[in-house]
Amino acid sequence: MRAFLRFERRRLFGEKKNLIFLSFIALFSAYFTWSGLSEFRQFQAEKKIFIRFEKEKVSQLSSYAQYGAFGFRLLYEASPLSLFFVNSGILQDVESNIDNFEAIKVESSFKGKKLFLKRGYFKDFAGIPFIFGSLFMLYMGHLGLVGPAYLRFMSGRMSLKKFYALTTIARLFWLDLFFILLGLGLFALVHFGGVFFSRPERNIFLLYILFLVLLLNFIYLLGQWTTVLLRFRKIFFLWLFIVWFICIFLLPEVNRISVFNQSRVLESAEKVNLDKFRNLMALEKKFRDYLKVNPSTPLDQLRQMQKKFAVQFISSSYLVNAGLETRYLRDVEKVIAGQERQSILFPTTFYQFLTGEASGKGFYGYLDFMDYIMKLRSRFIQFYLKKRYESDEVTVESFVQHDENIFHARIRLPATYWFGVLATALYCVALFLLAFGRLRRQAFLP
Amino acid sequence: MIQVRELSLECSEVYLDSLSLEVTGGEIYILLNRLGQDSDLLFRVLSGSQAPTSGEILFDGCRQDVQAVAAFIDRVASGAEFETEARVGDWIDFLCATGLSRENLYKNLLVCNFHERHLKKKIRELAPELFKQVYLAACLAPEHENIVINDFIRGAEKGFELKFNKLLLQQKAQGRAILFLGGDILYASEIADRVGFIKNGHLLFEADAAELKDMDIKGLYQKLLN
Repeated sequence: MRAFLRFERRRLFGEKKNLIFLSFIALFSAYFTWSGLSEFRQFQAEKKIFIRFEKEKVSQLSSYAQYGAFGFRLLYEASPLSLFFVNSGILQDVESNIDNFEAIKVESSFKGKKLFLKRGYFKDFAGIPFIFGSLFMLYMGHLGLVGPAYLRFMSGRMSLKKFYALTTIARLFWLDLFFILLGLGLFALVHFGGVFFSRPERNIFLLYILFLVLLLNFIYLLGQWTTVLLRFRKIFFLWLFIVWFICIFLLPEVNRISVFNQSRVLESAEKVNLDKFRNLMALEKKFRDYLKVNPSTPLDQLRQMQKKFAVQFISSSYLVNAGLETRYLRDVEKVIAGQERQSILFPTTFYQFLTGEASGKGFYGYLDFMDYIMKLRSRFIQFYLKKRYESDEVTVESFVQHDENIFHARIRLPATYWFGVLATALYCVALFLLAFGRLRRQAFLP
Repeated sequence: MIQVRELSLECSEVYLDSLSLEVTGGEIYILLNRLGQDSDLLFRVLSGSQAPTSGEILFDGCRQDVQAVAAFIDRVASGAEFETEARVGDWIDFLCATGLSRENLYKNLLVCNFHERHLKKKIRELAPELFKQVYLAACLAPEHENIVINDFIRGAEKGFELKFNKLLLQQKAQGRAILFLGGDILYASEIADRVGFIKNGHLLFEADAAELKDMDIKGLYQKLLN
């Protein structure tokens, strides 16, 4: 084994074009990590301004009626780990406004600097090994077994099975080592650069690296298998590109379109908002009808009636609307769970799902954010009604305690992570065996 | 000793038909055929890559792991077929680390006058003749008692042919049985101890080198193989 490791190390790292390509991958990964780090720092700076602005805004309000109408903004903060996955998340710089209106808003700002943040596909640390690493691994898989004449020669020295297995293992060892060191090295650099990662974040990054390596091994074995399948022919390069394109672009896109089609069963968000609005209007109509019937109601009695209607609103319409929103969110969750299950079917689709979630800005981050908005909104409505109709305070007290208006996204791996790992490992084993099965025929028969 | 007994194989258009021959130690036997027609198939069968329909092949009187008792030297065109991105020296180190005798390999390279500076070159950078020298040296390094060669000098320069002959004669002097599958009757008349003619998988004619010298070899070739 040591002889194979030594020889394959020389083959891989003694070749100038390989070194150029690996340096390119390392440099671009470092560049996008640095750029993610700078965006993370910029976000932290803007977060401070955001908090100051929100505090100042409340101090300028003159009544709780105004507070209810303006509400307060809620900022989505992803974990520091997201700097490695800046472009892989689903949510990009989102915030929400919590007020007494019925529609829940989740928005992204494009004002000022944020207008220039849009990067396009794969331009983050997770994207570089995915695009260029996979291309490189496919090519390395293609070169791995050299050719039929070489295989015939080597099978005279040792069994073909031994040569095939040890060559593949040795090459994968060095290539994996490169990507592991690249990932861990950049992680350590960011850490030394002043970004603190908690223990769960460190574990998630390690598990992400594990899947990345497994995915790249799958691509390597795919390259090896395709080469054997096409009998080491020179026209292989066209096939190489086709296989790469299918794996990296086509299948993830097909998966996305399929999920989009599944999401069509969801009710329109506008319709949900309209239903909620109608529920609210039904209650308001009751109040208007009361005023029509009793036009000369004294002001203190009117205030009592307002309070009564507000309590009625909390215990009826608001609950119905919250129920509508929760049901809608659970329907969305079902579609997300469907996508998660579907993405396990192929390693590249699962990789995209995984990076989205590891960024903390994925689908589950969105669900957590929506749940948090609804909880906060429920508390805010109660606070608002209590202060508006029961309190005689002149100055407006802020609802937001500490940093409640910052949503700290929980980072987590998909629940199906180990299924994804297992499925990819099975793909690897299948490709390894399939290539060997064909190899015997390719090497020795005309 | 290499013994082929009643070897038959049907494989699409080419086949072997009850082929029997024997090569003793210290003998060079050249089995002539029309260019590549039968030799590739026979080489695959002899090297154990393809099983015959019937018959048997014995090396030193036994049926055993052929790779352990014989060196099989296949035709190679250039280093491109062995493009491992490695330097020649690295490749030799690897072969030696997997059990090849470094001493024997270098001895064979010296017979071919292979210069040390070529060890630093990448395999693809070697001229075809130089690459063939390395390949040959590696194939012969295990010092097996039996050697089977498939048309190795086809298209080679005379200089390389002479080096190859030198190696071959050295092996013969060490008592090895050498079976050469080829198509060059003039080359055969120069170096072989015995010559056989095979056509459509059937052995047509066998002669000693001494007998061959008295014959019109070109006429014989045209008569038997064209």
